[in-house]
Amino acid sequence: MTTLAIYSNKGGVGKTATAVNLSYLAAQAGAKTLLCDLDPQSSSTYYFRVKPKLKFGAKGFIKGGEKINKCIKGTDYKNLDLLPADFTLRNLDAAFYKFKHPKERLGKIIKLFEAEYDLIIFDCPVTISILAENIFNASEFILVPLIPTTLCVRTYKQLLSFCRKNKYDAGKIYAFFSMVDRRKKMHKELMAMMLKEFDGVLRSFIPYISQIERMGIDREPVAASAPGSVASKAYQNLWAKFQEAAFVNPSI
Amino acid sequence: MKPSFMIIPSGTRLSEMHDQLKFSLPDEYNQQQLTDALADHYAIKQEQSVLKSLAIYDTFDWRLFNRSLVLYTSGNKLFLRKLFKTNIIHSVEITFSPVFIWDFPDSKLKKYLSIILRMRALLKLTELHSRSTTHRILNQDEKTIARLVYEEIRPARGKNASILATCLWLQPVKGYSKDCQNLIKRLEEAGFAARKKEDIYFKAIKAAGKNPGSYSSKLKIKLNPAMRSDEATKNILRYLLQIMKINEANLEKDLDTEFLHDFRVAIRRTRSALGQIKSVFPQNTTRQFKKDFSVVGKFSNQLRDLDVYLLKEDVFKAMLPPVLRDDIDPLFDYLRKNRSKALQKVIRGLKSKKYAQIMQDWEAFLDEPVQNPPLTSNADVPVISLARKRIFKQYRRIVKNGSRILDDTEDEKLHALRIACKKLRYLMEFFSSLFPRKKIKILIAQLKTLQDNLGDFNDLCVQEKYLLNIAEELPATGQQHKKVLVAIGSLIGILDREKQIIKDAFAKTFTDYASPLNKRAFKELFASKQKGIIP
Repeated sequence: MTTLAIYSNKGGVGKTATAVNLSYLAAQAGAKTLLCDLDPQSSSTYYFRVKPKLKFGAKGFIKGGEKINKCIKGTDYKNLDLLPADFTLRNLDAAFYKFKHPKERLGKIIKLFEAEYDLIIFDCPVTISILAENIFNASEFILVPLIPTTLCVRTYKQLLSFCRKNKYDAGKIYAFFSMVDRRKKMHKELMAMMLKEFDGVLRSFIPYISQIERMGIDREPVAASAPGSVASKAYQNLWAKFQEAAFVNPSI
Repeated sequence: MKPSFMIIPSGTRLSEMHDQLKFSLPDEYNQQQLTDALADHYAIKQEQSVLKSLAIYDTFDWRLFNRSLVLYTSGNKLFLRKLFKTNIIHSVEITFSPVFIWDFPDSKLKKYLSIILRMRALLKLTELHSRSTTHRILNQDEKTIARLVYEEIRPARGKNASILATCLWLQPVKGYSKDCQNLIKRLEEAGFAARKKEDIYFKAIKAAGKNPGSYSSKLKIKLNPAMRSDEATKNILRYLLQIMKINEANLEKDLDTEFLHDFRVAIRRTRSALGQIKSVFPQNTTRQFKKDFSVVGKFSNQLRDLDVYLLKEDVFKAMLPPVLRDDIDPLFDYLRKNRSKALQKVIRGLKSKKYAQIMQDWEAFLDEPVQNPPLTSNADVPVISLARKRIFKQYRRIVKNGSRILDDTEDEKLHALRIACKKLRYLMEFFSSLFPRKKIKILIAQLKTLQDNLGDFNDLCVQEKYLLNIAEELPATGQQHKKVLVAIGSLIGILDREKQIIKDAFAKTFTDYASPLNKRAFKELFASKQKGIIP
């Protein structure tokens, strides 16, 4: 089982759109996939037309076990299941501290799914608290969407230094460009700089187009509703580039 | 651009084997009526129809069916499931439809089937063409809560072909069991009933004009204890003639080695029946037909020998030390070359006038009504008495002769004992329907253990001799020739050692067989109970 977190410590960078489309593409390719919506805003859940409700709330979630299994919903797509979000997930941070090893709790919870799924994707809320540390511990790979703006680059640097300080392996962090406007000179320059300066930045970018925003109306991954579209191709490219970097040539 | 996929899918998982519910549809029911019936309660989204063809396979003697297995290809995959079940036991990707187990790609499926199929060829029984249309049942969020798959199955391609069956599959979606229960309720209210014991397999095979389990190399002869012995014997012989004819018809196609094998066994059993069920037919008749069937058996001896050695190719190679394994190849190449000639000889034999004459006379004889008054002493004896007498006598002979061999195990005597056992085995199988099934089954199984020991020993003797002869026969071609001879020599050495081991095991095997307990069982079942009935 592979675990991948779509994570960013900055909001509005396209995490959910990425999580929804990548999990769809993985499932299409045959991997039994579970998308865990950890964000109390429950956007992934909304995209898949599932009610944002965990039967036992954040408390039940954090306890783990068979109760979580019962909350999982099959999506409309083959091989793709969803663990819906719940508004009470906003209390997750506090709940972790009740356990002996609060930073390893999430990893322990998903152990249950090892036999059932090939791939687990976390759609994460904006956080760099204990939930973030749980995510870092539970995930083999972390994929960070980057908008090529100064502020976004700045938060990325913050993330890397946080990892260094707290001894998290920054080698499992991969970044890619999101919401890219190629007409903007600044976007181009920043992308070139990032590719040069940082390890693990994938040569893949998701353009800033309305097709992706339309997902909120269609309530379908764009890779499913318009498989041949520019947006869909961009996600396919991202998925290929990520797998290449993570599995074929881990040293890039 | 399609992403190359590196998160490797791990095959079928438990959750994919979710129970699909199958519903039976009223006759003449169509898809439109189905959607109409549900439209009041659900939003339905119909997806494009999917066409699928599948072909069902089994061996000529229904080895898979007899184990309640269904093997079929669909797309580029081979699937195995149990009858009446939908979940797949094993599946494997294939590039061509395998005929023999050794054609299968290495897989769990191959391992599973190898002990079942062994040397038998897979035959395509029939093809099915299915058109299935998925209807997604949506809730108010337009989220799919279940899928209803309407499937039409036809024995031929195209929409105009007659429909063999239509079914409705309900595929639940994880996490929506309540909605699914409601849907089931609605379906039941609309007149659909969940279907339990039914499998399209039977309809498909029947539509192809075949009858599952219709052929078996085992004897299934039903006799009536009070029947006249000559009549019963003719029943047995007619059954054997049927087996001969069925296999003969397939010999020329050379699909696998077992058509010939079953054909030969039926001949051997016929000869044995003529010899062992004594004094039911006039002596001249018996003698003539025994001679005839000896001739018919002989013209396939060479082919059967070659089949046996070629089937054992891998076994023989595995016995050899690794350095010699490839050196023996010229031997098998030579045998393979000879085999096609031997096959032609058999086909010519079957087409000969002599064969036609023998079979014609034989059928005429079997069709003759029984003679009244009887011409021979046992002809009108109730078959149960004759069966008891013959089986018991043969058994006692084996025990007597076997005991004599125990001290001094001569090869010749073992050979004679093997033949005697075979005769007893055939007798017990011919007449098994006359005796309590469980009891005779146990006695046959015990005899089989002894036969296996004697048979293995005989096989090794024959193989040794054959290899010696063939070594002389092999065309000499320098260096390679010498290497083959070394390999054959080595093989003979190995076979000889094995022979000794089996010979040593004879004493124990026989003593077990001739145990007092077994004797009592035989006596109880076969010793004649009403003295004086058989002159």
